[in-house]
Amino acid sequence: MLGGGQLVLGAVLAGRLYQLQIAQSDTYQKLSDRNQFDTRLVPAPRGRVLDRKQRLLVGNSEVFELNIIPARIGDLRQLLGQVARIVTLSDADMARVLEEVAEKPEFVEITIRSDLTQRELSRLAVRSPALPGVVFQKGFRRLYPQGSLFSHIAGYVSPVTAAEVDEDRLLRRLPGLQTGKVGLEKAQEQALRGEIGVQRLEVNALGKPVRLLNDRLARSGEDIQLTIDLDLQSFTAKRLQQGNSEPVPVSDPAVQRALSRDARLRSHFASGDQLVLRNSKGVLTPPESGAAMVMDVETGAVRAMVSLPGFDPNQFASRLRERDWQRLKQHPRNPLLNRAIAGLYSPGSTFKMAVLAAALEAGVVTSKTQYFCNGHFEFGDRKFYCWREGGHGSVNCRQAIAQSCDVYFYQVALKTGINRIHALASRLGLGDISGLGLPGEKVGILPTREWKMARRGTVWTPGETVIAGIGQGFVLSTPAQLAVMAARIANGKKQVTARLLETEIAAGEAFAPLGINAGILNEIRRSMRLVMAGELGTARNYDLSESQMAGKTGTVQVKRITKAQREEGIIDNLDRPWKERDHALFVGYAPYKKPRYAVSVVVEHGGSGSSMAAPIARDLLDFALRGDRA
Amino acid sequence: MSWWSKLLSLPWVMMICAGLLVLTGALALYSASEGAWSPWAEQHLVRAGIGVVLMLVMGFLPLRWINRMAPLVLLAGILVLLALPFFGTGSGATRWINLGPLNLQPSEPIKVVLVLVLAKYFASRTWDQFDSFTTYLPALFLIALPVGLVLMQPDLGTALMMGVGGLSMLFLAGLPRRWILLGLVAGLASLPLAWSQLYDYQKARVLTFLNPGQDALGAGYQITQSKIALGSGGLFGKGFLMGSQSQLDYLPEKQTDFVFTMIGEEFGLIGNLAVLLVYFVMMGSVLFVGIRCENRFGRLLCGGLSMMLFLYVFVNVAMVTGLMPVVGAPLPLISYGGTAMLTVFLALGLTMNVSLNLDKDDTEII
Repeated sequence: MLGGGQLVLGAVLAGRLYQLQIAQSDTYQKLSDRNQFDTRLVPAPRGRVLDRKQRLLVGNSEVFELNIIPARIGDLRQLLGQVARIVTLSDADMARVLEEVAEKPEFVEITIRSDLTQRELSRLAVRSPALPGVVFQKGFRRLYPQGSLFSHIAGYVSPVTAAEVDEDRLLRRLPGLQTGKVGLEKAQEQALRGEIGVQRLEVNALGKPVRLLNDRLARSGEDIQLTIDLDLQSFTAKRLQQGNSEPVPVSDPAVQRALSRDARLRSHFASGDQLVLRNSKGVLTPPESGAAMVMDVETGAVRAMVSLPGFDPNQFASRLRERDWQRLKQHPRNPLLNRAIAGLYSPGSTFKMAVLAAALEAGVVTSKTQYFCNGHFEFGDRKFYCWREGGHGSVNCRQAIAQSCDVYFYQVALKTGINRIHALASRLGLGDISGLGLPGEKVGILPTREWKMARRGTVWTPGETVIAGIGQGFVLSTPAQLAVMAARIANGKKQVTARLLETEIAAGEAFAPLGINAGILNEIRRSMRLVMAGELGTARNYDLSESQMAGKTGTVQVKRITKAQREEGIIDNLDRPWKERDHALFVGYAPYKKPRYAVSVVVEHGGSGSSMAAPIARDLLDFALRGDRA
Repeated sequence: MSWWSKLLSLPWVMMICAGLLVLTGALALYSASEGAWSPWAEQHLVRAGIGVVLMLVMGFLPLRWINRMAPLVLLAGILVLLALPFFGTGSGATRWINLGPLNLQPSEPIKVVLVLVLAKYFASRTWDQFDSFTTYLPALFLIALPVGLVLMQPDLGTALMMGVGGLSMLFLAGLPRRWILLGLVAGLASLPLAWSQLYDYQKARVLTFLNPGQDALGAGYQITQSKIALGSGGLFGKGFLMGSQSQLDYLPEKQTDFVFTMIGEEFGLIGNLAVLLVYFVMMGSVLFVGIRCENRFGRLLCGGLSMMLFLYVFVNVAMVTGLMPVVGAPLPLISYGGTAMLTVFLALGLTMNVSLNLDKDDTEII
């Protein structure tokens, strides 16, 4: 009986052992690991971004992290209070630190701040003997050595957001980690980030580290080489910014006076590139805004892409100061917008190539068909004006493009119809993303009858076709699309798209055939040549002497001209408030005979396509071609 | 009986089991000191050697002579327990007596002596005396005296084992059922009183046992870590010298009370069950000697000793698996601790002696 009792109780023990060691083994296995190891993540240095000649556009700089070891600290809150008096510590930081301290073993280092400034570092270093348990560690910070020059291409990184953490739990445990938020930093986040390493520190019960195990080595992010040429990019930004004005030295007393008087000029100056211009009327103005893009007509490689105004991405990589953020938000011209891909502009007269090609393709006109321009076109009860008071007289298609006759295109568009214009413009890349692969790119609007019915719920009217004939009305496109259009016209065979990465160029993925008759393209190209070289060409003063170029100007009204104003005579652009001035556009390519580069320029409220955008475009093409020869 | 048949009738299974357990202990202690013979494994084997000698001495001494001495030894033990508060050593609880190189815990061997004395007492009663309660009163007194003294040390674990072991002797002797029932009821009723008599750290241990997660870094730490170690061992264990809980010192007292946990972490459920099996075979063989014995003394003694061995194992394993409060009980022959080991060898020696006197009459040996 005694033996039986012992056996029963023995069975109880065996059952208990089974319960612990088999049934609940997984749970205890995890608990054992948590005891044994302090798992820590090792950030990988982010990949660099280089230009086509391996020049550094985005890199990393070493920074100092401020860490604490709770085991060596008596009163944590008191210590954090002390630290907060020396360095900036937000409430969110405090809360995160307290939370981490609570959940981690107390001998594990916890990051308080991951980006100490030089000043904070020295202040802390002096006081560190009085701060037990406070240690420093080296880390990386994103560095944008080119400042605002690449703000829109590179984008920026900033600390991980709550939404990203939800997607990837690992991120939460790297307080110093920053992820790409816009631009290339976002688009190429996976490649740039590399692989976070995992280290396990084996610790004994007393908290003493026993050994370090590398479960997964950190793999630094991939370097990304862009097709951009740093020199051309830099030149493009300077040239676009300057427009037709002269830079004035900041030390000029007139500049100082203007800055103290003019709040708007001041806000430009404070966050921009510290540039003040004097325009042709002697007025001090801020730098021009807009976008320009230069791309290879064969490969689609983008050699320059500038959007103005820009911002300094370094502001985001360190902690963005409230003052800087306010400046960016209150800047009158939205520096955060990448105008090259997300700025929507009526293409204006630069759209006329698409209209003409559609008309020729449809056979509604031939190269010989002439229309008479008397300065306006009456349709229904509306009067559509040509930009040239008094009209162009009889014009054929080449003259119509060269002189940018609106009346010719009102009628040709009407005959062709919006859907056929849409079909051809689509092949030229309008209404589609340019292929840059940057986040936030807009497709613009390339309307059709069906589009209007779906979007507006109303029937397309012929008047709308008329106005679309000169690239206004519903039509909206981005500077990148305009550059792609110019490149496709120049290329003539393929649907070239814009490409930003050298790896894409190397992969050499074939473009789809353009699908436009060579004769038609020839007609378009000759017309565009006449813009530069024709006696009455709208950009006749801005041809490239050596290489010859082809192009098309565009001047886009942003405010409807009233009848009264028209009778009084149209006020000169510079005499209007900036916001009411016309946008200046230009698309083109060079050399004319053997096209190499396509260009698009949009100067916001820059006045006219001829006098403002065309010379800029010429200078950019000139610089790009000279760069190749050098 | 010839010399040869004497040798054959020795409880060899029991001795082989004891040997296996000692070797297991040495292995575990080698691991506990992170793969070194010192300080524990070596000493463990030396002590086992002494234990074997003690076993042989106890096995071959004339039983009658042992029985004569037993009451005196018990008396001496009780006196030592009484004197312990004045010159004993130990942290928090004075349960040790320092005899030069030997640090002895007198309450351990007293368990065996108590069983011996009780066996002798009951064996010398006549059959008709077993129905009278007065027969049991002196026995109860014999149990209560050392148990009370051990409780005052305070050493809950040993007191518990001594009490339950002693009471099981009454049961073996034939205490009528209704009294056992009565005793159980009385025991349960006195629980609140007993609770109030416990020391704070004992109360803490009991509370911790009831809810170990509540205070995982304080009183519950030991048992939580022990369960983690056992559980993470799984079926086959983490391997010899590979138990992270033990090797990194998360497991407290891994060389003494929690050695079973360590075996479980490194050798898994298989290892634990194997150890338990060896123990049960050993207890069974002790019991088997009693069953074959023709005198009442031998039967009572072997029953009591087997019960005592069982209580050692049960209390220890139940404790480290979280089935019982942490009371501080070693795993005999495996744990590092001389007194418990010597006590067990003492018990084994007595069993051996009984096996040599199976066919004797009670009157010949008492």
